[in-house]
Amino acid sequence: MTDMSDTGMSDIAAGQRVLNEAAPKMIARDVDVFYGDKKAIDNVSIDIALENVTAFIGPSGCGKSTFLRALNRMNDTIASARVTGKIELDGEDIYSSGMDVVQLRARVGMVFQKPNPFPKSIYENVAYGPRIHGLASGKADMDQIVEKSLKRAGLWEEVKDRLAESGTALSGGQQQRLCIARAIAVDPEVILMDEPCSALDPIATAKIEELIHELRGRYAIVIVTHNMQQAARVSQRTAFFHLGNLVEYGDTSEIFTNPRATRTKDYITGRYG
Amino acid sequence: MTNTTHAEPRRTPTNWNDQAMQERIRGRYASERRFRLLGLFAVLLSAGFLAFLLVTMAANGARGFTQTEVRVEVDFAKSALFIDPAALEGFGADAALAGADIDGAVQTAVRAQYGESADGLLSDAAWLRVRDAILEDPALLNRSETFWLPARSGLDQAAKSDGSAADEQIYRQLDDQDSVRTGFNLGFLTGADATDPTVVGIWGAFKGSLFTMLVTLALAFPIGVLSAIYLEEYAPRNRWTDLIEVSINNLAAVPSIIFGLLGLAVFLNFMHLPRSAPLVGGITLALMTMPVIVIAGRNAIKSVPPSIRDAALGVGASRVQVVFHHVLPLALPGILTGTIIGMARALGETAPLLMIGMRAFIASPPGGFTEPATVLPVQIFLWSDEVSRGFVEKTSAAIIVLLAFLLAMNGLAIYLRNKFERRW
Ligand SMILES: Nc1ncnc2c1ncn2[C@@H]1O[C@H](COP(=O)(O)OP(=O)(O)O)[C@@H](O)[C@H]1O
Ligand SMILES: [Mg+2]
Repeated sequence: MTDMSDTGMSDIAAGQRVLNEAAPKMIARDVDVFYGDKKAIDNVSIDIALENVTAFIGPSGCGKSTFLRALNRMNDTIASARVTGKIELDGEDIYSSGMDVVQLRARVGMVFQKPNPFPKSIYENVAYGPRIHGLASGKADMDQIVEKSLKRAGLWEEVKDRLAESGTALSGGQQQRLCIARAIAVDPEVILMDEPCSALDPIATAKIEELIHELRGRYAIVIVTHNMQQAARVSQRTAFFHLGNLVEYGDTSEIFTNPRATRTKDYITGRYG
Repeated sequence: MTNTTHAEPRRTPTNWNDQAMQERIRGRYASERRFRLLGLFAVLLSAGFLAFLLVTMAANGARGFTQTEVRVEVDFAKSALFIDPAALEGFGADAALAGADIDGAVQTAVRAQYGESADGLLSDAAWLRVRDAILEDPALLNRSETFWLPARSGLDQAAKSDGSAADEQIYRQLDDQDSVRTGFNLGFLTGADATDPTVVGIWGAFKGSLFTMLVTLALAFPIGVLSAIYLEEYAPRNRWTDLIEVSINNLAAVPSIIFGLLGLAVFLNFMHLPRSAPLVGGITLALMTMPVIVIAGRNAIKSVPPSIRDAALGVGASRVQVVFHHVLPLALPGILTGTIIGMARALGETAPLLMIGMRAFIASPPGGFTEPATVLPVQIFLWSDEVSRGFVEKTSAAIIVLLAFLLAMNGLAIYLRNKFERRW
């Protein structure tokens, strides 16, 4: 954590983050999500804090991914999906007509369950986001963004000599770190990760967890996981979902040592899952 | 308490070596073998048909590319031909030559050389070659010159051992004098249709096909690809899009003659576009090709993994950026393959083009998209309808040219597909 200060977020951004620290980064109030007539998320309210890792846990099919995708409007791409209630990013309603969804997704980045690099070069994978948003002022600047992002994703040393090779030629764990580098290249404020390690082996998983730990200081991170040890290892806050409801939300240490709801207790003690 | 055990009655262990089991194994191997033989037989059969087609075509068609010529010595200085050399300079040249009886001069020369009975030695159009030579070099008119002029069709056939007994007799005589030769017929590749099989050429129809295909491609490709993108990526799923989907699928199956009737009614009778023109032929074929491209395009777009779209949307790409930066490049090989298949079908299409008048006799290659033209398959159809024996080999030769065109297009498709193929 000590080396983070010199790897270079701009000072202004860092300053803003300090100013906003008191207020939660994202707020969800009374959120319902429907697929057609079916309610997948029922009346969920939650605050996502800055400089924290928030873990969503719960049995499969309980709506973790659905709620996560509501936070950057990825549900818009599913024709039958409908979101009601209010979700705010820095006090701004992300479902209001004034919100530009393209900008929203740049500010709230996403890493998916299955590593999905573009079938392009490693360099292109990272450079794509900054390029479409016009974040680089030239080739040298872009090179720097790519290098910085890959370094932050802990991939630079492994790929610096083969940036022109295809991103799909990397191993699964490397691909997922490339996807993380791609997400942080556009300098997001929140990173959503949907079971980022479920397709990886234990060693690659450990690397990603370490990475999440290091990234925590800069971004609000939300991670969906069905692995409770992982939630306990990487997160400070944990939300337990069950059948579309948010059953319990609190400090990770609290949830795991002293759950209030019986359903939470049953789940973390392995009664069902 | 009765001591009931829940154990099932013991099964006798499977005997993997008993008679029935062995039978079953033998049966399995036999059916495996039967299926393999059947498949092999099917492949050999189709390969046999293909080989038969190609061999007959090549055997007949190869002769279509050659032409027998007779040596004729024309002494212009002594002939009755009078042309003012001054008139051959500039624009009046054609008129000056049209007035002169070059044909007569050539006839006289032939008679002088091969006797009075030798009237029917040359093709009716043979003198045209002499005319062209004069046009090129007016100084010829002052001296004697040896020409190799195309022989009459019957003699040409005799040279290829396929003529009548009388013609073969004449041919042998000429051959003894070294006055005939059979060589590559460049005129076939550079000329257009004619009434005389010895001077017909394929270039006119080839150019017509080329122009027609260009119009078809220019219309069908962009419209087809855009429709495919819209239907796959943008259109909502409802009754209307279902209806459109069904219509497009049906359109791809509509017999081509119907498209010809449509072209006739709409483009010629209603819009008054020029008859027999590659423009109209191209538009008509584009209507036919478009559904093929839409269907192939949609399948190709569908096969791009959704995770790629998610990835691009996730870093904040807009829908259009997702389509043009990611989906389209990945779908391109499939789209191109579909396009070429559609274009190949259009290239071989005859019926709709007959309807819009592309079957006219057109003796000069088209100079543009609105000039009367014919296309390769129609040309083949027209020639195959001729009674003269000389046209048989020309028909085969034209088929070879058409097949070569098709092969070139398919080759291009394979090249493009390999070039753009990406793995993910
Ligand atoms: N695209 C979709 N269309 C309809 N129903 C969906 C869709 N995606 C998910 N669901 C349903 O919503 C519920 C929550 O799914 P999901 O959010 O993927 O659960 P989780 O990520 O917690 O395993 C499930 O019952 C699932 O069947
Ligand atoms: Mg999920």
